[in-house]
Amino acid sequence: MKKTFGLLAAAAVLSACGGEGGQVIVVYSPHGREMLEAFERRFEELHPGVDVQWVDMGSQEVLDRIRSERANPQADVWWGAPAHMFEDAAAEGLLEKFVPSWADALPPHARNAEGYWHGTYVTPEVIAYNSDAVPPEDVPRDWDDVLDPRWAGQVLIRDPLASGTMRTIFGMIMYRSLRETGDTAAGYDWLRRLDAQTKEYVLNPTLLYQKLARREGLITLWAMPDIEMIKAQAGLPLEYVVPTSGTPLPVEGIAVVAGTRRPELAREFVEFVGGTEGILLAARDHFRVPARTDIPLDSLPERLRAAMESIVPEPLDWALLQEHTPVWMRYWDENIRGRGGRR
Amino acid sequence: MRGPMGEGGVGRPTAPDAAAPGMTERAGSLDGMTSPATAGATTANAAARSGSRRWSFRFRRPSGSVLLGMAVTLLLLWLVLYPNLFVLADSLRLDGRFTLANYVRFLRSSAELRALWSSLWISAGSVVLSALIGVPLAFLFSRYEFPGRRVLGALAGLPVLLPPLVGVIAFLFLYGESGFFTRGVQLLLGLDSPPWRLNGPGAILLVHAYTMYVYFYMFTSAGLARLDDTHAEAAAALGASRWTTLRRVTLPMLAPALGGASLLVFMTSMGSFSAPYIFGGGFRVLSTQIFASKLNNDLAMAAVETVILAASSIVFLIFLQRYEAGRAYTGTAKGLRANRGRVGAEPDEGGDVARGSAPGRWTARLVGLVAAAFVAFLLLPHATVLLVSFVPQGTWTIELLPPVYSLENYRTILSRPDRLVPIVNSLRMAAIATTANVILAFAAAYLMVRRPFPGRGLLGALVILPWALPGTVLAIALATTFSAHEPWTGRFVLVGTAAILPLAYFIRNIPLVTRAALTSFRQFDPALEEAAASLGASWTTTVRRVALPLVLPGLAAGALLAFVTALGEFVASILLYTHRTRPISIEILSQLRAFDFGAAAAYSVFLIVLMAIVFVIGFRAVGEEGMQ
Repeated sequence: MKKTFGLLAAAAVLSACGGEGGQVIVVYSPHGREMLEAFERRFEELHPGVDVQWVDMGSQEVLDRIRSERANPQADVWWGAPAHMFEDAAAEGLLEKFVPSWADALPPHARNAEGYWHGTYVTPEVIAYNSDAVPPEDVPRDWDDVLDPRWAGQVLIRDPLASGTMRTIFGMIMYRSLRETGDTAAGYDWLRRLDAQTKEYVLNPTLLYQKLARREGLITLWAMPDIEMIKAQAGLPLEYVVPTSGTPLPVEGIAVVAGTRRPELAREFVEFVGGTEGILLAARDHFRVPARTDIPLDSLPERLRAAMESIVPEPLDWALLQEHTPVWMRYWDENIRGRGGRR
Repeated sequence: MRGPMGEGGVGRPTAPDAAAPGMTERAGSLDGMTSPATAGATTANAAARSGSRRWSFRFRRPSGSVLLGMAVTLLLLWLVLYPNLFVLADSLRLDGRFTLANYVRFLRSSAELRALWSSLWISAGSVVLSALIGVPLAFLFSRYEFPGRRVLGALAGLPVLLPPLVGVIAFLFLYGESGFFTRGVQLLLGLDSPPWRLNGPGAILLVHAYTMYVYFYMFTSAGLARLDDTHAEAAAALGASRWTTLRRVTLPMLAPALGGASLLVFMTSMGSFSAPYIFGGGFRVLSTQIFASKLNNDLAMAAVETVILAASSIVFLIFLQRYEAGRAYTGTAKGLRANRGRVGAEPDEGGDVARGSAPGRWTARLVGLVAAAFVAFLLLPHATVLLVSFVPQGTWTIELLPPVYSLENYRTILSRPDRLVPIVNSLRMAAIATTANVILAFAAAYLMVRRPFPGRGLLGALVILPWALPGTVLAIALATTFSAHEPWTGRFVLVGTAAILPLAYFIRNIPLVTRAALTSFRQFDPALEEAAASLGASWTTTVRRVALPLVLPGLAAGALLAFVTALGEFVASILLYTHRTRPISIEILSQLRAFDFGAAAAYSVFLIVLMAIVFVIGFRAVGEEGMQ
């Protein structure tokens, strides 16, 4: 018995150790371990003596943490989240202004007007499918093809309330409706038909891949880089098409956290991630499509270039989407979700 | 494994009418723990023995105990209550003013009220289902002797070692639409489509019952081990049937154990997030509503939902205490050793079945077989984790069983030293937290059982409060409170330091360890301390030489449970960890996010083995001590 407590106490004493010299920079990011490790290695090579410490979690969790740590910020850089989260954070005073040297290469909607955050990548939304189960000639080519009766009960959708990707796609559908008919009715009608096709709303991306690979469903709407990443890492039989009528290109960003104790290093990191080397690193090894418009296509890997060439950007009013999406989503959640297309 | 709440002495129950009703009631309201009835009986017994002189001669009362009581209470007020006041304040604030508007909004929303109702009935249902599995199982292993009893009994407690995240994944691989159990049934029956979908409230209840029965199992086993058989025998001798004996004697004496387990299951279900989130299929409960509110950037509503959730748990706690306070059964112990042949609840058959004599042999084998099948069924998730740990990433898709097996996942972990850092981190932080838990639990239990000081009721409520607060809430409250340096308001910067995670683990486990300590204190007779005191031993000597050795086994069992809980803790960790202190559960999450189920499973197998080793070493140590 005393031995047990002795062991516990000994282990407690061990806690005194740990901690090394040198400068530390803390990055909160949802980009996943593979990508974070690669950037850590390269940044530390370029800045000897600097220790990059990343904390890997979902973008909503990043926002939660930065909020609760407001009085004593732990993170120096927040890397990766949809633009609207950065907008919320900027409005709450959680971010620090910093305009990196590459900012001017961004389109206006990919940066905060006051310089609180800047776009790194755009995420083309695509139609993904199980390539073992869906023959090439049957693959849906455009958004409307997903509503074809043959896919009834074969469509898996990631829970739209918790997913930036799905919110963007739904937003695009609603925006098209507004643009073409001046009203939201057609958009809701489209979403109602999608709901009728949907077998299940899947609660997180990992489960979505799992269910697709195991043929619980054959088709989904999802983000291109994630499909590429999962193919490369796990070798799952997944493929995608870029919808022919146009696809939204939502922006992901990077920002310096307000109150950082290492502002110089934080800015250095932001410069690096959005700088040409960082952008190419992300594009080549992690299938990230640059938000910057000045990256020559021929410097990008073949596959990414092919995908990018097939992209028809959907013209969207991002400010309007930011404002209206919460209302549309609430309506969808209360009146459309899970009703199998019935009113 | 069995009887984590202490195997120390065997309680010698006192007839209920021996306890003065007034005393019982007071004791019940004084301490917040789940066996106030025991305290009542103990107090009453002491009173019966020593009469009115009780308070005057029992101890030379040191003023130190009052000081200690105040210190412990203050510490808990600061660490347990204070941070949560920040959450309460958030729920009452709108546009910088204090108002009830947010609550009005909650009460006017039918979706919110439905979520509250769902949370309540799901939690109640989880309690019932878990009890239906756990209690009979405990009786089976405690009351019958059959081949393999000890091993099976230990295995049935294994779910306590299943890390929460991994449990969910195991269920998917097992009972999900493409899980191997589901596909097996489909194949066997020749169906075109899967026979069921793991979805909706039924799925949530299944997962809850499957993972939480273990609380009922462990608490009931411990309770049965403490029971004195003479009462059941007496009842039988007086002509009571077995059913009557069970209903009127055994179960009432188990009330504290059952109450404790109910509370734990109810609160765990209220706070449960993964199960409703992943298996609910859009079914709303409070914990998922909190998440959704935050996604919609409606922080005031999230705070209201949090407060309502915690309040529901607290109401359940109060209700349970009222119920228990009316039952003054269990009693004092004379420091007797546990008698190994605790089979006597079948007094009419005596030890026949148990000892495997001729007529009972076949019955015993049959019981053993049934028990083995049941335990195997309960351990399917563990088997699944083990199976998945041998499957290379991305290879198992449409086959019934994995087509490829390899050790690749284990090699990956072992070849990367940085992937072992989280294991060291978790061990260290769990050890620190548990050490603190033991010290606090001993002090608090000692004060509550032996030292009547003003504010004892408050202390009792404080030590149980962390159970009523979901881990996420605690984490956010801690992060908010300890992110500012304002020493005069009791706030220090702990966020981002190595101290915050052990602190969170410590607070979450206060009820568990304190409860174990309280149970132990109530089991031994205060007369032992009185004897020491009357022989001239000082207060400190009495504590050190009498009280401590007697409660140590029970306390250690509670500490072990707390230690493994802290090792696998996830919900608070995700909001508080730093790169340097990343714990095991975060590493598993990272692997899951990268779709590496195999690595996550291999890591979990590591974790389960580690916890099992801790348990075995711990219980061996407890056992040795117990022999003295």
